[in-house]
Amino acid sequence: MWLPVTGLILGIILGFLFSVEIPLGVVKYTAIAILAAVDTILGGLRAQLEERFDLSIFLTGFFANTLFAALLTAIGDLLGVDIYLGAVIAFSIRIFSNVGFIRRDLLERYWQGLRATVTSKQ
Amino acid sequence: MHLVEHAPRSWRVTRLQAALAVVLAVAGFLAVTQIRNELLIRQQLRLPSQRLEELGFMLREMERNRGAMEAQIEQIRGQLHAYEQGAAQGRVQLEALGRQLEVFRAQAGHIPMAGPGVIVGLDDSPFPLRPGDDPNTVILHYTDLQGVLNELWASGAEAVAVNGERMITTTGLNCVGTTILCNAKRIAPPYRIVAIGDTDQMARYLARADGVVAGLRAFGFPVKVTRAGRLTVPAYRGSYRFTHAAPAAPER
Repeated sequence: MWLPVTGLILGIILGFLFSVEIPLGVVKYTAIAILAAVDTILGGLRAQLEERFDLSIFLTGFFANTLFAALLTAIGDLLGVDIYLGAVIAFSIRIFSNVGFIRRDLLERYWQGLRATVTSKQ
Repeated sequence: MHLVEHAPRSWRVTRLQAALAVVLAVAGFLAVTQIRNELLIRQQLRLPSQRLEELGFMLREMERNRGAMEAQIEQIRGQLHAYEQGAAQGRVQLEALGRQLEVFRAQAGHIPMAGPGVIVGLDDSPFPLRPGDDPNTVILHYTDLQGVLNELWASGAEAVAVNGERMITTTGLNCVGTTILCNAKRIAPPYRIVAIGDTDQMARYLARADGVVAGLRAFGFPVKVTRAGRLTVPAYRGSYRFTHAAPAAPER
């Protein structure tokens, strides 16, 4: 568990060390991409809790979702439709539902563990 | 056996964790960069980036408007310039007209005049009437006054007043009892004619042996002609009224 946490911290530190200036026009795309990334990470966490985590699905999901979200936003800009709003809503809903599932999975695990200790005591 | 089975599993877990670490590192890097940029934008522009596009559109619109308005300003400035030129010309014309008006007013007797001239004092005859005498022989008539005035005009008087009444183009003298009507006002003896003009010429003309003054003196009327270096003639105080006459078109 320490390696992913280290990776996250490393990424944050890198972000603080290298100030990459995102052009004004691209800020929207990166924002939506980050939303997609957060969604994928939460999805991966949920899958791991439900013990159906697949690395290839996770990795492709992460990069594909991120890129596709940015692409969708760009297409929306080209069409003059705020498609990125739709993406924001979709990702937000997915993030909320994933968080909900993760909470439920964690609670289930907690109850199971409790029951296991109770039965072992009996 | 245990080791053989265990080693790939731990390696697999490590690989999984490494992948997760990479993904999280990318995500963290992206998030931090994004947050920093957003904060920078807010700090510099004092508004969230979502509104930038809208504002950009508004800016473009405003810039277009500004261009149009600048063109308008240029046009209005040109107009103003033209107007100013016109006004300057108008001012010059107005000044010329004002000067002309002043001349006309002076000629019409609407402004007081000053200058050298002569004063002619006239009065009824001091001789007492004897019974049977015609009173007309001792009373100064308007025709006598008119005669003196005519001689003054003839000898170059430019502005004349009788007892403070300015002689103008429409001034006529009329007899009303023992007084004389002048500019619709009664004037009574003694009469004091003030005439501005060539002093010598007027005085000499009045002093002719066959002049009106000499004739009046022969009948015993006291006539006094005095020269003055500086006299003032008042302005005509009445008004002109044209009820029947109208300016005619100039003849070609």
